[in-house]
This record gives sequence, structure tokens and C-alpha cells, in this order.
Amino acid sequence: MTPNNKPGLSRPSSNLRVTVWYTLLCVIFALVLGRLFYLQIIKHEHYRQIALADQQREYSIPAQRGTIKAQDSGKTLPLVLNEKKYTLYADPVYIKDVGSTVKKLAAVTGQSAEDYQKSIEASSSRYVVLAKRLSEDQNKKILDMKLPGVGLSAVNYRAYPQDSLAAQLLGFVNEEGRGSYGIEQALNTTLAGQAGRLKATTDAEGVPLAASPDNVQIAPRDGQDVILTIELGMQKQLETVLKAGLDRVKSTSGSVVIIDPDSGQIKAMANYPTYNPAEFYKVEDQAVFNNAAVASPLEVGSVMKVLTVAAGLDLSVIKPDTAFYDPGHWKLDDHEVTNIEEVGGPGTRTITQVLDKSINTGAVWLLMQMGGQTGQVNKQARERWHSYMAEHFRFGQPTGVEQGYESSGTVPDPLEGYALELAYANTSFGQAMTATPLQMAAALSSVVNGGTYYQPQLVDSVILESGDIQKKSPQVLRQGTVANRVSKEVQAMMSYVVSTHNPRPPFSDKYIVGGKTGTAQIANPKGGYFENRYNGTYIGFVGGDRPQYVVVVRVNEPKIGKYAGSAAAQPIFWDLAHMLINNFNVQPKSQ
Amino acid sequence: MTYSNSIAVNRRPHVRRNQNSVAYTAAAKSLGPVSNSIILLALLCLIGLLYLTQVTKTNSYGYTINSLQEQQSVLRDQKTDLEISAARWQSLDRVSNSSVAKTMVPATPIGTLQ
Repeated sequence: MTPNNKPGLSRPSSNLRVTVWYTLLCVIFALVLGRLFYLQIIKHEHYRQIALADQQREYSIPAQRGTIKAQDSGKTLPLVLNEKKYTLYADPVYIKDVGSTVKKLAAVTGQSAEDYQKSIEASSSRYVVLAKRLSEDQNKKILDMKLPGVGLSAVNYRAYPQDSLAAQLLGFVNEEGRGSYGIEQALNTTLAGQAGRLKATTDAEGVPLAASPDNVQIAPRDGQDVILTIELGMQKQLETVLKAGLDRVKSTSGSVVIIDPDSGQIKAMANYPTYNPAEFYKVEDQAVFNNAAVASPLEVGSVMKVLTVAAGLDLSVIKPDTAFYDPGHWKLDDHEVTNIEEVGGPGTRTITQVLDKSINTGAVWLLMQMGGQTGQVNKQARERWHSYMAEHFRFGQPTGVEQGYESSGTVPDPLEGYALELAYANTSFGQAMTATPLQMAAALSSVVNGGTYYQPQLVDSVILESGDIQKKSPQVLRQGTVANRVSKEVQAMMSYVVSTHNPRPPFSDKYIVGGKTGTAQIANPKGGYFENRYNGTYIGFVGGDRPQYVVVVRVNEPKIGKYAGSAAAQPIFWDLAHMLINNFNVQPKSQ
Repeated sequence: MTYSNSIAVNRRPHVRRNQNSVAYTAAAKSLGPVSNSIILLALLCLIGLLYLTQVTKTNSYGYTINSLQEQQSVLRDQKTDLEISAARWQSLDRVSNSSVAKTMVPATPIGTLQ
């Protein structure tokens, strides 16, 4: 036995070993603890995020787009609704037998199996869209086949129960879900709502686990439903009348606006040609998307004389029975302003005749009176007439109607520009300035309603989230466009124009019907005007004791040998006047 | 007599027969550290089990909610489809082309002369 092994004696080497091991263990334990502290405490958030990234999924909850409704004799009927359709797609990696798969799919969709096969084989992507807008039935049939590598995703589309009715006025929703043209574009924010969000810890199949404290759910805010001022029956009949009227005169396009002069509410607005907004992607000429009644200004022609006369009466430089000597032509800035042949040569005329016989030189004479001189369209005349055009009748600026791509039109500057006298003389009979049919309708409304310019409006009310209906009240943009007496004088003169027409239009004396034709030369982009190309226009009103509807008609380039305004646009107005009186509650005169 | 009893007897030399005395019982019995630890562990396990039960139950509500939401979605789709169908049945084209409309006689306009 060595001394070290003796009991009771210390064993230094053994103690040292224990101490070393103990220390080592402590160090290892401390290291482990330290590492755990680092991972669990210091790096807690980092690893928490990594773990959550695997478990958490984020979903966007789409908001339901608001519907669009229209008036139907006191009730409302839907014009635009939403429907769910399906997009068929394939992942070529998982398709085992392409030939068999595409045949089965084509049998359901009714499309070409060969096209499907080409798409799948030609694509390098793992997401090949084979068909869009499949119905719920087709969706079910394809799902039942359980084809590997084939999937369907639900997509919301707009549905149009009335097909192409009021198409340009409504616009459409494009593939990105954004409103394009018409009311869909103008009210995109109101209609679209706001998508919601769900961020949740899910199980392996993606079902959110309710117990997770990290779940975040923001409910979507659905778009608001909109009720239009449009009367469905009137809109339908207007579209029929417009199409028939254009066919009669071999015109390829035209527009009509019917507006309530006492509120600015648009009751019907139509354009031809039109399209089916549910199939907007099939349209080749995108110009057809435009609501030409608000987006396509034109030189309106002689219908402008009504407003020139109204301005002259309002300025008290003329009276309805004022007689003046008309020289039959004016020479301004080395150009001659003349009349149509039917007016005849020089002679004494009245203001009413300026409208009745559509005398250009009479309108120019009237303009000259605004400057206090005959023979010149001086600065004062130009400034005063410009004030009426731009401020009273609000030409040269958008009306603010709820439509996409509304045009401002143009009004020449009264102080700067080339051949100002001639240009302003031309504006007095609707050339050298442009306006949309809606601007004309709003301006005439303000003249015949006693002098209040209402902003034209298409939205009658909005249905709030609570279900309450928020009515949109008429917006007055200007009071005193013309004096009340002027309003009555202009009504009488326009009524006279219709009643003295030969042959006399068949309207009952119980109603007041007034109007004025316009035949406008079409401007040549290279300068000047085309020789034999004209647009026909007509502005008028229908009512009893007071005008109840204002109507503006535009016919583009009718193929007839007569004046476009009287031969093409006027018959459409007459048909519409009959339609309004017979079917749309025009109140007859009380006496 | 055990050793402990003997000690106890020795510790009470003054106690005589029939003599009233006050008996002092030992302080309330307390559990030892091992028992305490076991009970604590058992309680912790119980709480854990309770927690797991509740979490599982809550998560099962998640599946119920999910299922109900799917049902709601299907019903909403059906409602939308019905609304569209109703609107299409009332469309002006369909009404004007209906067999009833075709048998109608045009009314004489009352407001205007023709």
C-alpha cells in the first residue's frame, strides 16, 4: 500500500481530478446556460419570427364591389351586380397525361383541346391559364374529375342583367379590378371598398387556428351600392330611338342626353355604337368605350345661337322683338361670314328670326351689340360674350358629372389669338369653340329653368354600410345664369321655332316643346373645315307649365343631302319628345 | 418499549396517574420537501393539461368557424346568383321579347298627336 492509499490521509491527485471535472462541468453547464440565454432571451424575437413565418399565413380578404342600380318608376332595379367565376389553370409539372387531361377539360369548357395542349407544352411557367370566366357548374365538373396539375381559382366579375343598356355610362371593371370609363371609373373608390386582411397561425392545411394570440384580422369594407338617376325605361327607349334615327340618315354614331333642368339629374344618356360591358375584352375599337356625350366635345353649330340670344337678352342689348338690318354677310379679319342659302340676302330681321331661320349674320350682329358697335366684334363684345360662355354657361371646364374622361371643351381667349374677331363671330353660332352634349344640356337647362346652373349628376343616392340611403342633393354651381324674364323669353322663342316648323310637328297644345337645330362644319385637323362633312345637333325641351326635360341630340356625319341638324338630329328629338310626353309623366299645362 | 418511547417517558417525569394534565400535541403535520415537489409537479401537469385542453378546444372552434365561414360564403354566392337570375328575368329585353309582350296591342298615345 502506498502512503496515498492509507485511510484518513488526503489524496491530492483525486481531489484535483474531481475539482477539474467539477469545474469543467460547471463551465459546460454555464456555456449551455449562456447559449440558451442567448438563443431564448436575446434572440427570442428573431427565432419567434422564423417560427411564425412557417406557421403563419397572410390572406387578403377581398371587398365586395358595390352594385349599381337605376330608377324604375319609383323602384330601383340592378344594372350592375357581382358574380363569381373561375379561372382554369394548369401546372405542367404535375400533369401525368397531357393529352387525356386537355380532352377532358375541353369537353367541359367547350374550347379547343389542341389549344390547351399547345399552351401547356409551350409554357415554361408552372402556372398556365387555360380558360377564364368559367361558370359554377363548369367549376364543379372539373373539380369532380380530380385531375392532377389542374386547378381553379375564383374571381369576382361584374354581371350586367340589362346587357349593353347604358354601357358607356356605366363603364366596366378591368382585369386588375379597377373601374374603367363611365361611372365605374369616376366612383372607383366608392364602389371598390377596401380589402381586409387575415394574418393567422394555421395548421398544415392552412386553416387558421383560433387560439393563436398573434392572429390579426381586419374585416374588409365592402364598396357602397350606388343608385343612379337614370330611368331604365327611358334609357331603353332612348337607345332604341337613337339607333333608329341614326340608321335613317346613315350615320354611324351619335349621342343623346336627357336631363331634368330643375335638378341637373340626368334621366337618360346614350351613345351609338355601343358594346356589352360584360365582354369588354372583345371590343376592338376602344373609342367605343368612351361616353361621347361627356368625353367627346364638338363644335355644336347653330344650337349655340340660343345661348347667344340669351346672353344678349340678359345684357339688355336686345329684346325678343328687336328688329335690325342684316347685311347678309360680315367681313371680319379678311374672312366672310355668311348664311345658308335659304335665309336669303340682306333685309330687316328680328331676334326671333335669328333663331327660327338660323341666321349666322344675325348672331354676329347680336354679338357686336354686346360691344356697343355694329360692324366690329370689339374687345368689349368678346370679353362679355366670353364671360357668358365660360362663367355663366361654364364652357371650357368639366361639369363634374360622375363619369370618367370627362372633357372640358374649348372656349377661345377673348384677348389673345389669331383672327379674334372672326373666331368670336364664329362662336356666336357654335363654331371655333367646342362643348360636349352634356355641357350644352346643362347650359340650356340653366337658361330655361330661370337661371340656375345645376351640376349634372348621375348619382341619385349611395347606400351606406349601415344600410341607410344617403341622398345626393342637387348642386347649384351658379345662380343667375340669366334673368328669370330672359328664361321665359327664350322658352317662348324656342317654342315658336318648333311651332312654326313646316310641316308643323304634331305636338298637342297642352305641352310646351321648344328647340333649335344646329349643323356644324367639322374642323379639319390640317386647318379650316372640311367642305362636305357636317355634324347635326339639336337642343330642346319638353314640358307643361315649365320645361320638364331638356334634350340634346348629336348625330355625327349623317349621309344625307340636307342639313344635318334639321334632317338628322331634329327627327330624333321629335321622337324623343313624343316618347317623353306619352310615357314619362310630362305634366300638361294647367291652363 | 421502543427507544423513542422510553425517551418520551423520561421526558415526562412529573406525570402521575389520575392527575389532570394538558396534553401538548406536536405542531401540525407538514409535508416534506419531496412530497411538496411531487404535488407541485402534479399541479403543474394538471394546469398544463387544462391549458392543452382549452387550446385544443379553442382551436377546434377555429375549424368550426372556418366551416361556418365556408357555408356562409357558399350561401352568399347562391344569394348573388339568385339576384342575378332575378335581375336577368326582369331585364327589359327579356320582358319585351316575352310571349306575353308579343301579344300586346300598342296603346294609342294620349299626350301627342300622331
